Amino acid sequence: MIWTRAFFASATLELAHLKSNRAFVALTALAAVSFLVMVRLFGLTGSRAPMALINDDRGTYSQGLIDALLAAHHSFALKNMSEEDAAKALGAGRLVGIIKIPAGFSKNVERGKTIPIDVQIDNVNVDLTNDVQRALPAAILAFGHRYNFPGARVQVAEHDVLSHDTNYIPYLVVSALALDAMVIAGILGALATAREFERKTIKLLRLSPASTGAVLAGKLIVAAAVAGTALAITVLAIVLIYGVVPVAPWMALLTLGGCVAIFTCFGAWLGVQLQRTLAAVPLLFGLVMPLYVDSGALEPTRFDGEWIWRIAHLSPIYYAVGVLEWAYHGIRVTPEPVYVDLLALAAMALVSVALTLGRLRKRGAQ
Amino acid sequence: MIASVWGMARNDLAVWLRSPAAIAAALLPALGMGILVAVLTNSVGQQPVALVTQSKGRLGARMGKILEADAEAYLIEEMTASEAERAIGDQRVAAIIVVPENFDEAVAGRKAVVDLYLNNVDIDLADDIRRSVARSIAEFDAPQLGLLGELHGPSEGILLPNPYRVAVAEHNMRATNVSFLQYQVIPIVVLVIVSIGLLGTALLTARDFERGTAKLMILSPAGRLPLVVGRSLGGSLITIALVAPLVGLGFVTHYIPYCADTSGAPRWVTILFSAPCAWTLSVPFWSHAVALIALLAAVTLTTVGMGILLGIAVRDEKLVTMIGLNAAVYLFFLGGGFTTVAFLPEWIQTASRFVPTSYAIEGLRQALFYPDLVGFGTDLAVLSACAVLSLALASGMLARAWRKG
Repeated sequence: MIWTRAFFASATLELAHLKSNRAFVALTALAAVSFLVMVRLFGLTGSRAPMALINDDRGTYSQGLIDALLAAHHSFALKNMSEEDAAKALGAGRLVGIIKIPAGFSKNVERGKTIPIDVQIDNVNVDLTNDVQRALPAAILAFGHRYNFPGARVQVAEHDVLSHDTNYIPYLVVSALALDAMVIAGILGALATAREFERKTIKLLRLSPASTGAVLAGKLIVAAAVAGTALAITVLAIVLIYGVVPVAPWMALLTLGGCVAIFTCFGAWLGVQLQRTLAAVPLLFGLVMPLYVDSGALEPTRFDGEWIWRIAHLSPIYYAVGVLEWAYHGIRVTPEPVYVDLLALAAMALVSVALTLGRLRKRGAQ
Repeated sequence: MIASVWGMARNDLAVWLRSPAAIAAALLPALGMGILVAVLTNSVGQQPVALVTQSKGRLGARMGKILEADAEAYLIEEMTASEAERAIGDQRVAAIIVVPENFDEAVAGRKAVVDLYLNNVDIDLADDIRRSVARSIAEFDAPQLGLLGELHGPSEGILLPNPYRVAVAEHNMRATNVSFLQYQVIPIVVLVIVSIGLLGTALLTARDFERGTAKLMILSPAGRLPLVVGRSLGGSLITIALVAPLVGLGFVTHYIPYCADTSGAPRWVTILFSAPCAWTLSVPFWSHAVALIALLAAVTLTTVGMGILLGIAVRDEKLVTMIGLNAAVYLFFLGGGFTTVAFLPEWIQTASRFVPTSYAIEGLRQALFYPDLVGFGTDLAVLSACAVLSLALASGMLARAWRKG
């Protein structure tokens, strides 16, 4: 049988299968969007701890201190509250803390006195507590320098490696694209191969004179195309909702296409290994989050320590995030050059295809 | 009736035990989240930083010591300028702090500068370092602006004047801090319950419809209520069987080698051995323990009821898996997984009020971390109401579905 005929027949059949499983495909795409939304939620709590502000002083200096607190590296979301409301909100876990500027603050500062401000902290979460404990002296330092108080002898001179800061949510949503690609393409790839075992058609496949490679290619090209379409919706959402546009659009497109190809192949391999969609889907869900976090999704992986960074090299998401962050924001999150990340992605795709083909032939022979 | 209920529950337990795929489907995503939290624990807080002390003077050395002493903020390593440049290029450090050669003279002229070369790749990481360096600089002229001063200075009546004219009197609400891992393990436990209770029971129910065994059930003389109650009991028992050891382990991790933070084992060993049950908490006071058990039971019943509803509504194992996994993700995040709902925008807080897991997570955190059980009654009442409602609805829907064949 001609290779191309087998390829097209297999692709047509796969498309028909996916059409009859529209709800499943739609839910897979929904899962990808869900991850994007959830990653955003996580990003929202990364900064600006909600703190009550009780200001019993109406002078210039208290306003200066409030300005310094607001400018302290995105640390506080200050809420003016009465003492009673603040205590209630703190007790109910709705605030990280309360800052109280005492009456006479401005007058005393004017006279050169040092005034303690009372800060109550709900230290239930050590991460948020640390942020507040570090941000308060940073704000006080800025306050002192703003008014040129005598006696302050040292300042920080910051030299940033990059010309601008990348906000946390735009950073996170770009890395989430790699996660989405893995979820959608992986599940559809797994569905394409596991179905042959679930319906016992693997034996027919093996007995037919058609090339296994052509049949597999036909199935996977359709799975990848559907996954690519679903991913395009997520990409559009990122552009329209978050306003994140790639600085290198062609590279972004190429990488996302590459991710879809790799993860479809990876999913297909998983489907052949497990032979059941019901086993492959949760495994992919279970794998995807740890792989995502250990891939430079939240910050460059090497900052998390050498062993975590070394393990990350086993994950395709590490390389995908490396290229995507470069393509979208022009930043490097892997020490390896971008072309090395691209080559690693291509190599992983080839290995996945080879493994799936080998496994299909071997299993089919049984 | 009791025999029918028990028969149904026993049958479901047997099916569960023979279905490793279903167990995997329920457990793997939750365990994945657990590992994720453990990895996150490793990455929050401390950032790797290179310190280059070019100054040979006394004050330069003191500045270096202040920076090095803040081990809570940095993983600091002393380097030469060229080593540090290589390290920031290779991403082995996120920033370089330089105490320049003329530091002592500049301090005398009140014009000293500490240079911070920062890899500002994202704002979260960059701000963490900016805050920490600013605190260390402030500490140079105002020692009470360091962590010890914040905690034990003005708040204990000891106030030293400083050139910035403001000091911090910090009062912490509780005697011990809860670690990031401990705080986040609670939603993970709830996720495990959701995954097993909801997904597992939904799969069992959908399977009955797919295999046609639902028809046999309706022909049996048992009646619909015992069948729904039996399925709930089976789902609850398997959930309890899988969750109880996880929770139990959480309280004894203090005593398990390599699990506790203080074990002296490398960080990655601790994470590997303890995730996702590294609560390492002391056993709570009896009233809090009772609250904990009641909440866990209520959330189990709620998720089992929701699972039966889902299974009856969808009746397809693949679709049930996808819907269940999607639902688990929303229930986890909107319930407060990885986030504190109270700190999110108003509309998300409102949406979260309609998510039962938010009551479970809030209630469990109150029971474990707070001295008072504020809101416990509401949390338990909402969860119990959800459980009763879902079971009643499931019973009604099951009768309707079977009537229609």
